[in-house]
Amino acid sequence: MSNLLKVFLTACFLFLQIYLSAQDKTENYIQLIIPDSLTKGAEVVCRLDEKDVEIISPGKILVRKKRIYSILNNNAEEYSNYYAHYNKLWSINSVNGTLYNSVGKEIRHIKKKDMSDFPGNGEAFVSDDRIKMIGLSYHSYPYTVEFEEENEAAGALYIPDWGPPRSDKMSVVISRYILTVPVDYKFRYRMINTDIKPEVIYKKDKITYKWEIRNLPVMPDEPFSISSDLYDPAMLVGPTEFETEGYKGNMTAWQDYGKFYYSLYKGKDLLPEDLKLQVHQLADHLNDPYKKIAILYDYLQKNTHYVLIMFGIGGLQPFDATYVARNKYGDCKALSNFMVALLKEAGIKGYPVTIWGGEEERAFYVDFPSHQSNHIICAIPLNKDTVWLECTDQYLPAGYLGSFTQNRYGLMIDEKGGTLVHTPVYGLKDNTSIRKIKSIVDAEGNLQIKSETSYRAMSQDPVENISHHYSKDKQLEYLKQSFNLPTYTVNSFNYNENYLARIPSMQESLDISVTNYAQVTGKRMFINPDILRRSKIKFSEEKERKLDFQFNAENSEIDSVEILLPGGYEAESVPGDKSLSSKFGQYQTHTIVRSDKILYYRKFDLYRGRFQASVYEEIETFYNGVYDADHTQIVLVKKTKS
Amino acid sequence: MLSKQLLLLLGHVLFIQMIFAQEGQNIKFGKITASDFNNPALQFDSGANAVIIADIGNTRFEGNSHGSFTLIFTHFLRVKIMNKNGFDIGNREISLYHNQEGDFEKLYSLKASTFNLENALITETKLDEKAVFDVKFNNNINDKKFSMPALKEGAIFDIEYTVKSPFTFRLMPWSFQGEYPRLWSEYTVVIPPPLHYVMRIQGDEHFFIDTTKEVFQSYSVHFNNGASSDDNYSVNGNSTYKKWVKKNVLALQEEAFITTLDNYYSRVTFQLSYVQWDNKSEKHEVMSTWNARSKDLLEDADFGLALNRENGWMSDELKGIVQGSNSNTEKAKRIFYYIRDNFKVVSRDGYGKRGLYTHQSLKDLFKKREGNVAEINLLLTAILRKSGIEADPVILSTRDNGVANPSYPLLAEYNYVICVAFIEDKMVNLDASQPYSRYGQLPNQCYNGWAHIVNEERPMPIYFSADSMLESSLTNVIIVNDEKGKPIGGFSKNYGNNESNDVREEIASSSLIAYEKKIQTANESNFKIDNFRIDSLKMADYPMVLHYDFEPKNLIAADILYFNPMMGEGYKSNPFKSMERHYPVEFPYLIDETYMLNLYIPAGYTVDELPKSARIAFNENEGFFEYLIQKGESNIQMRMRLKLNKSLFLVDDYGALRDFFAYIVKKEGEQIVFKKIK
Repeated sequence: MSNLLKVFLTACFLFLQIYLSAQDKTENYIQLIIPDSLTKGAEVVCRLDEKDVEIISPGKILVRKKRIYSILNNNAEEYSNYYAHYNKLWSINSVNGTLYNSVGKEIRHIKKKDMSDFPGNGEAFVSDDRIKMIGLSYHSYPYTVEFEEENEAAGALYIPDWGPPRSDKMSVVISRYILTVPVDYKFRYRMINTDIKPEVIYKKDKITYKWEIRNLPVMPDEPFSISSDLYDPAMLVGPTEFETEGYKGNMTAWQDYGKFYYSLYKGKDLLPEDLKLQVHQLADHLNDPYKKIAILYDYLQKNTHYVLIMFGIGGLQPFDATYVARNKYGDCKALSNFMVALLKEAGIKGYPVTIWGGEEERAFYVDFPSHQSNHIICAIPLNKDTVWLECTDQYLPAGYLGSFTQNRYGLMIDEKGGTLVHTPVYGLKDNTSIRKIKSIVDAEGNLQIKSETSYRAMSQDPVENISHHYSKDKQLEYLKQSFNLPTYTVNSFNYNENYLARIPSMQESLDISVTNYAQVTGKRMFINPDILRRSKIKFSEEKERKLDFQFNAENSEIDSVEILLPGGYEAESVPGDKSLSSKFGQYQTHTIVRSDKILYYRKFDLYRGRFQASVYEEIETFYNGVYDADHTQIVLVKKTKS
Repeated sequence: MLSKQLLLLLGHVLFIQMIFAQEGQNIKFGKITASDFNNPALQFDSGANAVIIADIGNTRFEGNSHGSFTLIFTHFLRVKIMNKNGFDIGNREISLYHNQEGDFEKLYSLKASTFNLENALITETKLDEKAVFDVKFNNNINDKKFSMPALKEGAIFDIEYTVKSPFTFRLMPWSFQGEYPRLWSEYTVVIPPPLHYVMRIQGDEHFFIDTTKEVFQSYSVHFNNGASSDDNYSVNGNSTYKKWVKKNVLALQEEAFITTLDNYYSRVTFQLSYVQWDNKSEKHEVMSTWNARSKDLLEDADFGLALNRENGWMSDELKGIVQGSNSNTEKAKRIFYYIRDNFKVVSRDGYGKRGLYTHQSLKDLFKKREGNVAEINLLLTAILRKSGIEADPVILSTRDNGVANPSYPLLAEYNYVICVAFIEDKMVNLDASQPYSRYGQLPNQCYNGWAHIVNEERPMPIYFSADSMLESSLTNVIIVNDEKGKPIGGFSKNYGNNESNDVREEIASSSLIAYEKKIQTANESNFKIDNFRIDSLKMADYPMVLHYDFEPKNLIAADILYFNPMMGEGYKSNPFKSMERHYPVEFPYLIDETYMLNLYIPAGYTVDELPKSARIAFNENEGFFEYLIQKGESNIQMRMRLKLNKSLFLVDDYGALRDFFAYIVKKEGEQIVFKKIK
């Protein structure tokens, strides 16, 4: 760090010290000098991040937030913005923001009324979530922004969790969480990746707990790294008893939390008479419960669709089944609840399951009942196994969950309360894509390709998305962009699905013409037999890898390629058969060049897993080995006349 | 006279109705038969997830009690859902504007129903009033939102409503084209005599019906002058009747190499020009002329008012900046760089960085050192003037904002302010708001056709063409054999101005190390890179130069060596992916790329095969590609040049352009073959 910057920061700090101590004499800011370890790699330093939460009663909490960020350069400009969220349950009492220049002089002060106001949930069609926003940027660095916000929440349903706000741009000097509760109120907390203990202060009828973390450097930004919730310190906080919009609940055990959910769904499963009749017509003649489920799921998929409309009870309560029956749309809660109602009418017990939806692997704290979900699906436990239904999807076969919800925990809401359940895992045997290419190259190097690929399970998810959710024109547009080929035309394409099995598969046929695929120069032809699958992943040399690796994909690619050759060529250079084997996967190729054709075989298995940072070199060797092998050309030369 | 007009009008109505009958467009809310569900006409755009069967809008006016007119906009929409991916069109919103003085637009008689054909029976599901939600969008707009009920594959829905608006400046625009194809799109306006709008028709100007008529209308306008004296006026005369219809309009297609689709999609927009109650009374200018508009802007406290003031607050600092400069050019340069380097462009809450207007005084800006583009360039103009240099603000529309129409002073079309200085008989274009911009050169986004100089005496259009921007790059590669006979290489690339700035921004938002890694892994040949460095990274007035050394691994060991002389720098795939094109190809600038290689033949090898030299021209003199390669005693020299002399290529040229780039991709992929000397 330059000395000049240090001077600035120190000056910055001096002012803060004065300012802060004036505010709160009990605080000691003498140690607030930013060490080099916190400015290294940082574009912004969080001087203070504080959440001060007071549970007044199960039905009311107060939250005071405060943060002070020193922005060191223009790459961290977005950190001078402040967003305050609010909705029916969560209101903003006040916001105060102040901008200070590098010597601590106040430049600007704002209040809540100065903030712009807009809808807060971009994904929702209608929602009562809103955001107030303001930016306090300045032209000269470093500068410091301070924000204070006070909120009131109508219920202790969501008590804010704690996590120091560091990122790959921001280091943190002090992060603090203060929780005050009435002496007779029990709350729960769970430390994550840290074992710090709170300081406890007893006042008359209240107890205050204070947790504090200091001096966290910026997070490394490295490819394929484990998600930050596996190494970053944090704390979950949960209520015991809570109350919200007239609903009472307790979160001490998963079962209790389930009971609360159950109360939100209670009485919401009434169906109109004509629909009841239809359910019986559809399902009664079938004996196999899976078949009953499948036919009702098919009804759901054909007759309803997803529209996100969120109101009240923290967005947890579904529209009732009558609403969905009439309007034929709903969000994940409403559609799952509707599905459960259809099943119930057919005499099958199904349950809503709260779950975290997303492609990324994420930690789930089984030992800490709390709100760890953002999505609802439906589960039907049968004798042998459980049938899972994603009710917002109009295509998936009954029983299959894609990458959005597979392999994770969820809370099944049943009459007894909640039960933790785990969704299916799809592995190497399931996630396959098997491709056969027959192609012809002419004397100019132009290539005619006919490719047949069979995708299964998670390997078919991206293809499923395109074939189901893109129009024919958009599919073609997508295919025109997706291959690493010089100049090409997609003459025809087709997707065929097999969605009768519980694990879906998708057949793709492509007919592609490539201009100058092979390079023809004088007497030689250069051609890469790996036409459509060349690896794009390459690791650069790395001196010091910090974070462990996380590979989420587990799948198997098998390719057989035939390229018919124009006459008159013989092999000059043929890549040797390659076999790479590692903890991360297996790679194998086999190439045969005959006078009339090239035959090429490639098998690439990738394994899911978590690996220590120290294996970097092995990973580099493996992936770069695959990359090199995928990019090796066959060289053919014209036969000399003899 | 009157009867003649009425006859004309009647004739017109008959004519239209006849066409309706012919086209089956005599559509009424809820009048649906089974044959509507499998109308073969719906198949005209085979890729569609939903088809708009009819989109019919109508704006008429009635006199109101505030001495003005109320707009009455009625809208009818009929949509057919072709498949499950078309459900999104069922999520509807109607935006209603209101001001802070208590005037507002209001929604009347919203009717919406979905129709499904089930077992040869048509069922109707009406929109439930309780399923219409009020959502505040911002301080001026509230949305009514609803999702159509009972949508299924094959469903048809109808929506009909009326919005009454007291804002004469909000005459609804109409889009004849959009995300979904339209079988029939119709818009009618009847404008009362006192109101005069400028109409702008964009995109394909071919209409199935395009009618302008004068029709006699009476309006009753009421002035409420307080308790005692109410005045009623009757406005009679020829109203302007306009009607446009388009049939079978395909959905908009996204394409690469286009400034913005906004320039091409078919629509009509309106701007209130002036109000004149009758021939004898005064014109109330609303839009007016460029001269008057320039004057207004220059007198506007949120634009030019401060330009001609004494502005004494800047005197001291200005003295320091220009001290010792001995020409106006030098003075101007110093002022320009001073502003560029000391002022930061920031978003104005809710307004963004761009926009025509200032939100603080120039004096405050001078103190705070941050402002939007308009503020910074107006300050530049003010300081130049203060130092005795003639300078004016220029308003323009950036490329992503669409092309502005130079004929009318439609300020809503403009979103950016720059400064033009007149120095030694030359016009110098200046934008001091961008950290990498240079004296006399505007950012790419500004080269978008007509702009306008804002000057009271001589407002003047000026044209900024992408053809006046040249992006030229030069790459130099040398590969020699070191004393041990091992090949080693040196690479350097002079980036063009635009690429320089892009890379500067990329490095600023990641890091130099990250950029080095990217360069290292971008290359397919997997060479080890050393001595990576960049010249002029921080000196925005110079193009950047990238240097590194490398070890060409593929020039050693094997009996036969294959080497691509472009080293992966060329085009690996054709940038023009599609066979067909709907809209012109617009490059942001002219392209001039040069690549040079000097390769010493690896020790112990001989050249077995060399790519052939070639030169092809594009459309005679619109561009060329040159690939020259020759073998010397001990080395191979190669030179590639790609040059395009224009930035805009019409649809007719697309095929040729795609072939031209296909040839480039092929040629740049060719390899040199060396054989070991035995």
